[in-house]
Amino acid sequence: MVATRIDLLDPADVARLGGIEIVARGVVEGFLAGMHRSPFRGFSIEFTEHRAYQPGDELRYLDWKILARSDRLFVKQFEEETNLRSVIAVDVSRSMAWRGSPDRLTKRAYADRLAAALALILLRQRDATGVITFDERVRHVVPARVRAGQWNRLLRALVETPDGAGTAAEPALRQVTSLLARRGLVVLISDLLLDRALTLTALRYLRHRGHQVIVAHVMDPGEMELAGPPEARFRDPESTASMIVRPRELARAYARTVAGEIAAWRSACRRHGITYALVRTDMPFGVALRSLA
Amino acid sequence: MTFLHPLVLLGLAAAAIPALLHLLERRLPLEVDFPALRYLSEAERQSARRLKLQHLLLLALRTALIALVVTAAARPLVPVRGGGGSLHQQTALAVILDNSPSSSVVIDGRPLLDRLRVTARSSLLDAGPDDHLWLMLADGVLRRGTRGSLARIVDSAGVASRRLDLSDAVERAARVVDGEPVPAREVHVVSELQRTALGATPQVPRDVRVLALAPLTSPPANLGIGSVIVSGGAVTVSVVGTKGTSTGAVTVRVRGRTVGHGLAGPGAGVAITLPPLPPGWWVGDVELDPDELRADDRRMFVWHVAPPAAVRAGPDVGPFVSAALNVLRDARRIVDGNGVTVGTRPGSGPSVVLPPSDQALVGETNRSLEARGVKWRYWGPGTPGVVTGPSLPDVTGFAVARRYRLAAGIGAQAPAGGGDGAILATVNDEPWLVRDGDVVLIGSRLDTAWTTLPASTGFVPFVDEMVNQLVRGEAAVTQAEGPVHVEFQVRGVDTVGATVFGPDPRESDLTPAAPAVAARALGGQVLDESHFAAERFAGTHRSDASGLLLALALLVACAELGVATLTR
Repeated sequence: MVATRIDLLDPADVARLGGIEIVARGVVEGFLAGMHRSPFRGFSIEFTEHRAYQPGDELRYLDWKILARSDRLFVKQFEEETNLRSVIAVDVSRSMAWRGSPDRLTKRAYADRLAAALALILLRQRDATGVITFDERVRHVVPARVRAGQWNRLLRALVETPDGAGTAAEPALRQVTSLLARRGLVVLISDLLLDRALTLTALRYLRHRGHQVIVAHVMDPGEMELAGPPEARFRDPESTASMIVRPRELARAYARTVAGEIAAWRSACRRHGITYALVRTDMPFGVALRSLA
Repeated sequence: MTFLHPLVLLGLAAAAIPALLHLLERRLPLEVDFPALRYLSEAERQSARRLKLQHLLLLALRTALIALVVTAAARPLVPVRGGGGSLHQQTALAVILDNSPSSSVVIDGRPLLDRLRVTARSSLLDAGPDDHLWLMLADGVLRRGTRGSLARIVDSAGVASRRLDLSDAVERAARVVDGEPVPAREVHVVSELQRTALGATPQVPRDVRVLALAPLTSPPANLGIGSVIVSGGAVTVSVVGTKGTSTGAVTVRVRGRTVGHGLAGPGAGVAITLPPLPPGWWVGDVELDPDELRADDRRMFVWHVAPPAAVRAGPDVGPFVSAALNVLRDARRIVDGNGVTVGTRPGSGPSVVLPPSDQALVGETNRSLEARGVKWRYWGPGTPGVVTGPSLPDVTGFAVARRYRLAAGIGAQAPAGGGDGAILATVNDEPWLVRDGDVVLIGSRLDTAWTTLPASTGFVPFVDEMVNQLVRGEAAVTQAEGPVHVEFQVRGVDTVGATVFGPDPRESDLTPAAPAVAARALGGQVLDESHFAAERFAGTHRSDASGLLLALALLVACAELGVATLTR
């Protein structure tokens, strides 16, 4: 049974089934078939669970009874029933157009399909969903709507946005603020090869505005483990920077650095109440969607 | 440190290969896009120091590895203290094998020469292929050759008939090896080190090591015939040998027939009367009972039995010649007669001519010589000097204060050599005693105002020799070193002289020199057999360090592997 669920197949194989629309639909069908309800929850009147208080959470959602009993701060979470407003910010910078192997999707292709699937899930549960694509500036904006044809508009925005240049998430995230008038869901899909401090500031601001924030850190397996010819000049596609490296010499140090970077992002996000998920481009879409939930 | 194969060191240039590869490898790297360059940059920043150190370490290890392997291939030789090394640096070596007659002595049932040959052979075979080698035997000839060729000469060397002066041999060998452009020089003396074989301390250059094989501690007893002199109808045999040897029996034979026996010890003599024999040349031999050294147990002798010369002396011969003739007459060596004329003018037959005491009469003497057909003339006074006459030991070494120069007459050619007209003795390299046919001319009057000869004990024998032998053209019986035998000199059908060959009497004394004395006399060290073997080339012993270097290279290779694995 597992083999017939598209969301659990190799993303490259799934991508070969058709365009982004077909793939996203297939992924969502498979994904939702394995769940009773959407895992993407917002603030609603139907209580679902507690979570630890994070700075920026509204005090009215504090569970005072727990505070009185245990002297610990917890906020109540409620199942979103209607009109959750969500924006998916997709990084389309040049670094996203890279893949470590021809057998895999580029980070951008993976991110587009993931964003499309996520948008379809949200739209199916009648949540207003929008998309922002960005590189070093905002490239395309589709405001959050729930009307018919919204998903197609989102798909068009994703497909029609060409690969950009450098990366700067901050302008896009600031624009999200204007797109989401009230609290909503913000999903950032990026390889996070950007200024972490600035990006975290923007994300913290979103959290401060009461939005639920999810960061999907897209990485190609080739970025996690350094490999290649005995010696090569490694060139940054987003800049003129390059360096000559013997991958075998630096592989261990590189793996440590990447692990440290991931840990730093995860730690920073957790500290600010941001959901962080590491998404590898060889990861089935269903698994990636579940990691975002 | 030296190298057996120094040309291999050119391969050290290969030590630059790691550095060159490092540079060449960096020249054209592939270019790849890699978005996570910031992580890479951070990783390199964190590892830069470690990587740089590892790169330098790898470069050094690889360079060292090549250098060690190349150096090992060049076979480095390092000095080894105490002579423990199996190799040595290039050496000029002269081996002196003393195969003189004394080396034939039998010790413990085996000729001593066999032992000496083994030692000499070892010295030669221990030499390296690049060493410069010489071999000297008792003949005193320094032969240059390879290890193999010289070892073959050693193997085939028998007992020589000549004595070897070791001190002189060492000096000559040291001079030869000292001239070689090699780092080390040695002279090995392989001899029984008789004390009589040593002479004056040789001049040995400081860079030349002289090693001598120590003699045996207890020399065997030995007796030898030192000399045999026939005089006055008797033969006098002197016996020589190792001190302390008891007397031995001496047997005298003439033409194979025993004519007498005697007993004598070292330093003693025995006189045995010869039987009356008719005129002619006679050969006899003297033999001792056999002992450990057979080479000196027999010696031959030869003498001429002739009627005494009939001598007529002129009134102007001077008192010394007259007195000598009287002595000879009393001893029946001469008789009065007209056979031989002694005076200032030659007679019609054999004549001994002295210069006149008055210089004004020299012309008359020369005219009579010319009339006689003699080529020689008295000329002006010559310079004083010393008489030299190889065939006349009785006159050699006497001072001459006054003399006339003797020269061949105008139109005549001064003959040379031993034939008629030979120069028999010289003073200052000018003829002093000459013979032309049966006329003998002396450059000085036989008077103490002219020469010291008349005042010596050799004067009467000299006069005897002149009137009985020289005017007859007879040469004296001479002694020479060589295998025991007699060689006669003949002129036409006449026998005019003889040479008796035999070993040098000094060979008979087998007493070894004390080590200290030998060391001083040879200018080197005297070592027993084991130390001699150990000290050969000891001053220059080298050990092949290639094995050590290869082991080191293996360690370096392991270290390189470890560092390279860490790097990767």
